Amino acid sequence: MGTQVKDVIIKPDAPSSLLLDKHADYIAAYGSKKDDYEYTLSEYLRMSGIYWGLTVMDLMSQLPRMNREEIIDFIKSCQHECGGISASIGHDPHLLYTLSAVQILCLYDNVDAIDVDKVVEYVKGLQQEDGSFAGDKWGEIDTRFSFCAVATLALLGKMDKINVDKAVEFVLSCMNFDGGFGCRPGSESHAGQIYCCTGFLSLTGQLHQVNADLLGWWLCERQLPSGGLNGRPEKLPDVCYSWWVLASLKIISRIHWIDKAKLRMFILACQDEETGGFADRPGDMVDPFHTLFGVAGLSLLGDEQIKPVNPVLCMPEDVLQRIGLQPDLLS
Amino acid sequence: MAESEEEVDVLVQRVVKDITNAFKRNPNIDEIGVIPCPEARYNRSPIVLVENKLGVESWCVKFLLPYVHNKLLLYRQRKHWLDREALVDITCTLLLLNPDFTTAWNVRKELLQCGVLNPEKDLYLGKLALTKFPKSPETWIHRRWVLQQILRQVSAVGRNRKQQQGEVEQADGGRSQQLSDHLARTLHQEMKVCSEAACRYPSNYNAWSHRIWVLQHMANGNVKVFHDELSSMRLWVSMHVSDHSGFHYRQFLLKELITDTDPSTSPLHHSHAQANGELSGAEAAGEEERQPSSTTVLQLFHQEMELCSDLIQSFPGHETLWSHSVNGQRHVSEPMEVDRASLPDPRDSKRLKRGVQLPAPPTLPSEHSFVSGVLDRCSNPEQRRFALAYRKWLDTVIGQQP
Ligand SMILES: [Zn+2]
Repeated sequence: MGTQVKDVIIKPDAPSSLLLDKHADYIAAYGSKKDDYEYTLSEYLRMSGIYWGLTVMDLMSQLPRMNREEIIDFIKSCQHECGGISASIGHDPHLLYTLSAVQILCLYDNVDAIDVDKVVEYVKGLQQEDGSFAGDKWGEIDTRFSFCAVATLALLGKMDKINVDKAVEFVLSCMNFDGGFGCRPGSESHAGQIYCCTGFLSLTGQLHQVNADLLGWWLCERQLPSGGLNGRPEKLPDVCYSWWVLASLKIISRIHWIDKAKLRMFILACQDEETGGFADRPGDMVDPFHTLFGVAGLSLLGDEQIKPVNPVLCMPEDVLQRIGLQPDLLS
Repeated sequence: MAESEEEVDVLVQRVVKDITNAFKRNPNIDEIGVIPCPEARYNRSPIVLVENKLGVESWCVKFLLPYVHNKLLLYRQRKHWLDREALVDITCTLLLLNPDFTTAWNVRKELLQCGVLNPEKDLYLGKLALTKFPKSPETWIHRRWVLQQILRQVSAVGRNRKQQQGEVEQADGGRSQQLSDHLARTLHQEMKVCSEAACRYPSNYNAWSHRIWVLQHMANGNVKVFHDELSSMRLWVSMHVSDHSGFHYRQFLLKELITDTDPSTSPLHHSHAQANGELSGAEAAGEEERQPSSTTVLQLFHQEMELCSDLIQSFPGHETLWSHSVNGQRHVSEPMEVDRASLPDPRDSKRLKRGVQLPAPPTLPSEHSFVSGVLDRCSNPEQRRFALAYRKWLDTVIGQQP
């Protein structure tokens, strides 16, 4: 019995050029023709869904096609008494969607549409004694939430409101022997968590704490013969993990350690030539999530048809310049 | 099938009731699923109970989910009143269909806080949801919250007992035994839930990190539990050689068995001293009773590297196994790497590093000859790729350490 190789084979007729117009049409039409069932299933993350859609539109210079007023009203109605923001109306507030909402408002240069002071109070209130952050008032701890907290505050220029030293201490306690990071102390390294933790250390000015060679090694091992990157050993390659690994490598300045041309081929092959949009892998169903990370990945790889993307916040660089925010990259 | 709003209303309410009744009829339901069935069959409920399996016919899901979903959201916005019983039923149906709907779990947390639900019932609902959605992050998150409630109850009882010491000693002894039995059962059940989810979805990050959380919070310092886990996992990883998360779990157990002990009594501390011939006669005498534990930890590492080598040769081409080797080497060569990074004071880091360093085995030369052996015998291209990467890693990372 031979080994089953965990990778995909890119067919010769797979798309190999970037279909920007198709992707813009796909995102612009998304949501307008959704049936009840599909909409219901994903409503619990709607705020993030909007962030994915708007960010990829902005990266393609197509943001004006989206309904600005409607979206801002929606965000306002999702802010709760406690200051936190929920995924949709009637859902409970959470750090994940608070960050997405703030990111959207930054794209629109309109953070004052919500009560910013209350958002800051909300984030501050979720920090625990050990420096970690709970995702919401029910207390789940995860390094993802540490990232959400500092990213939200960095975008609002309020990083000084939390105990940054303690927050850093907690994230570093989640570092593993392989140089990577997991969700909590002792948990396995995972590309998504590594992205959150390197992003966190960038925003807090602590990137020198990373063992860049060791972590860079682990991240490069994610590249498979197809060119795509996976999130952990023996997992299939995926466009979203390609972004998380690539962005982490960019943050620790080791992006040249992987084969960029092959990765570009893989990402392009994940486009759907008919519907527009990107899937996780060639031939699968497209969605806005993988569409954002496909386009953002190509931007990091230097595609000039796309606006430069910031690897830490996954937002267009020009938006961050407007705010005056420049997260560190390891020199 | 075009149904009027009223018809959908009646239909859905009946289905929600059918689900509730199924649980009443059979409290031992152990799996849920959707039965592919595009059309409704005349006069038959879409809820099917076969032995301990609860099935929902697929045609009704697209009516059922939006209906219960919207009902709960209206309740959450105070636009529609639901009594507690209805809330329990609706959130149950909702979460079995869409377990990542965070707010529905939160409603159940509130019901639990006011005593309408009990923790066991919610652990059970989560367990069922995981049979169909073994990764569902929100289900695992809710479990941890429920477990924390149980732990809090137990520690509250413990505090009470201390306050009333002397008066009700007898009766209390029984109660405290009950509580610790209850905790042990809960721990055992969590391990089972994790194993099942791990079997249903390979390298299930949420299941394995939950398992680690459970040990950290419910078996803290209980060396026996850690040893039992290590030995029971041996067979599991041998049968799941691609499961990186399972192997990480073993690394976690090994690391805990070493570092969870106080440095002054750490078996590792002693083995270090012995290896360097630093023991005076008097110290050596005192060491003797601890000897077994120091050899045990060393043995564990030897056994782990042996297990890994065996598996690599039996199942060529698995990155997970090579990566486990790498991590084993790392433990041996520099066990406190992580702690060192997080320590601001370099003097502390030196102390820590020296304090826990293991003596040489398994040695670098033996690993090199293992790799050469693999390369000589093996034609599997994947296996060769991993072996070469491992050799490179040994040379660049391990080989260059002072
Ligand atoms: Zn993906």
